[in-house]
Amino acid sequence: MAKVTDEAVIIGMGETPVGKLPGMSSVQIQALAVHNALKSCGLSIKDVDGLVNLDPYGIPQSMFSTTLAEHLGIKPSFCVTVDVGGTVTGMTMLQQAIWAVSSGHCKTAVCVYGENALTGRPQGAHGFQLQNLLGGEEWEEPFGLQGMVTPYALVTQRYFHDYGATEADTGAVAVSTRQHALLNDNSMMKKPITLEDHNKSRMICSPLRLLDCSLVADGGGAIVVTSAANARRIGAKMVRMKAFAMRMTHNSVALIPDIEDIGMADAGQRAFEEAGVGPKDMDMLQLHDAFTISVLVTLDALGFSKPGEAGNYIRTGATAPGGKCPVNTHGGLLSQAHIGGMLHLVEAVRQLRGEAGKRQIPGARHALVSGNGGIFSICGVSILERI
Amino acid sequence: MENIYAILPAPTRESAPFWEGCNRDELLLQQCQACKHVFYYARSFCPRCGDDKLIWQAASGKGIVYSFSHVHVSFYGPRWESQIPYTSALIDLAEGVRMLSRITGPERERVSIGDSVSVSFVEYEGQKLPFFALAQKD
Repeated sequence: MAKVTDEAVIIGMGETPVGKLPGMSSVQIQALAVHNALKSCGLSIKDVDGLVNLDPYGIPQSMFSTTLAEHLGIKPSFCVTVDVGGTVTGMTMLQQAIWAVSSGHCKTAVCVYGENALTGRPQGAHGFQLQNLLGGEEWEEPFGLQGMVTPYALVTQRYFHDYGATEADTGAVAVSTRQHALLNDNSMMKKPITLEDHNKSRMICSPLRLLDCSLVADGGGAIVVTSAANARRIGAKMVRMKAFAMRMTHNSVALIPDIEDIGMADAGQRAFEEAGVGPKDMDMLQLHDAFTISVLVTLDALGFSKPGEAGNYIRTGATAPGGKCPVNTHGGLLSQAHIGGMLHLVEAVRQLRGEAGKRQIPGARHALVSGNGGIFSICGVSILERI
Repeated sequence: MENIYAILPAPTRESAPFWEGCNRDELLLQQCQACKHVFYYARSFCPRCGDDKLIWQAASGKGIVYSFSHVHVSFYGPRWESQIPYTSALIDLAEGVRMLSRITGPERERVSIGDSVSVSFVEYEGQKLPFFALAQKD
């Protein structure tokens, strides 16, 4: 079952500036995100007795939740680090916090991720430097696979082959996402792009070009969870996690199934069933977009387009600002910053609270957040609702 | 092939027979004796039924390209620059398993999904690696 529980709710969210934060360590970035999230709901660290986080991908650290708790100056009764993969980690953090609050292990929990992935990476490096190995290295590195671009390129090439999709489709994702980023002051990319810009950008791993790849960045985001009773007592705006489902199918791209068998469709179907709503009820989608292909595969898998037709769906304007179901309204990993998908959740909560400023979706009630860790290795779909 | 660079595997008790097989120009796959499942990569228990009665057997070395990518960037510092561009690929082997490999040979740049390929062992610092090569195209 994809049920979470209604007894605990989301009452706040916050993020740090993104891009380059020179001189800031990962724990400092997470602490800033926690404080900003608490400010959004009028709480302080004195109110926090639950802490859920993820340690940095770049330089993995054990016991990072206790590192952060000590830095913040709190002594939580529930303190854990969660590592599932991509945005599924953020969703699982929320699930853990909601379960911990609703079962009485803590009263108010903060979920947080952030790191100095850009200024903290070695000189001369390209891409996200993952010192926490994914476990398939023996079967990948001898064949030239390092980092995440090549495996996603393999999926993209196959998607093009299976459905006759082209760079016009991956490019459509890049252009639509950039349009949203221009409405977000806290995004790294400040200039509009065209399909032509996309097609002229440097080839990284065919068929993925520079503008198909997300932005390695420093930054962090956090979300506050408390009991519905406490939320009502303090008069907080409430958002609930109506449903969350995940499906793992593989780890390394060496064992990836055919595109139709990737876990996103199954996770999405179970999340919709549990939430009692469908694709047409969604006011926005925040889809993990480490690469443009991720959005194409996810739109197909969740039923917003027929298999292979996500590009056509995007060309209707549906995903753009003002469209019938905008996708990645903060600019996503592609044009805001790659903060592990934590800011997809932050943005969904912000929109549902009606606090998204010039990019606010009027009357937004339902947001879908999707994600995948690894190479679609573990897929997750959650549905958030304004109460 | 000239100027090959590769990151060599660090064989484990499970995987050593695979890499030793490569050094004999044999592409080995494990088969479960209980359920007859053939799988890749090396493990001590069958990933379908959990049995531990496994044997190694030589694969045909023939396969079909499931996907590929020409890599134009050295991601972790300069060490891959001598290889760029190179081609990584997912190969569907005739035995029904998918494996990741690298395409080499004169036809590398002309690879397409669905092409027939054969294993082509390439030695680097004493370890032969199971790369694949395309049949000559017209």
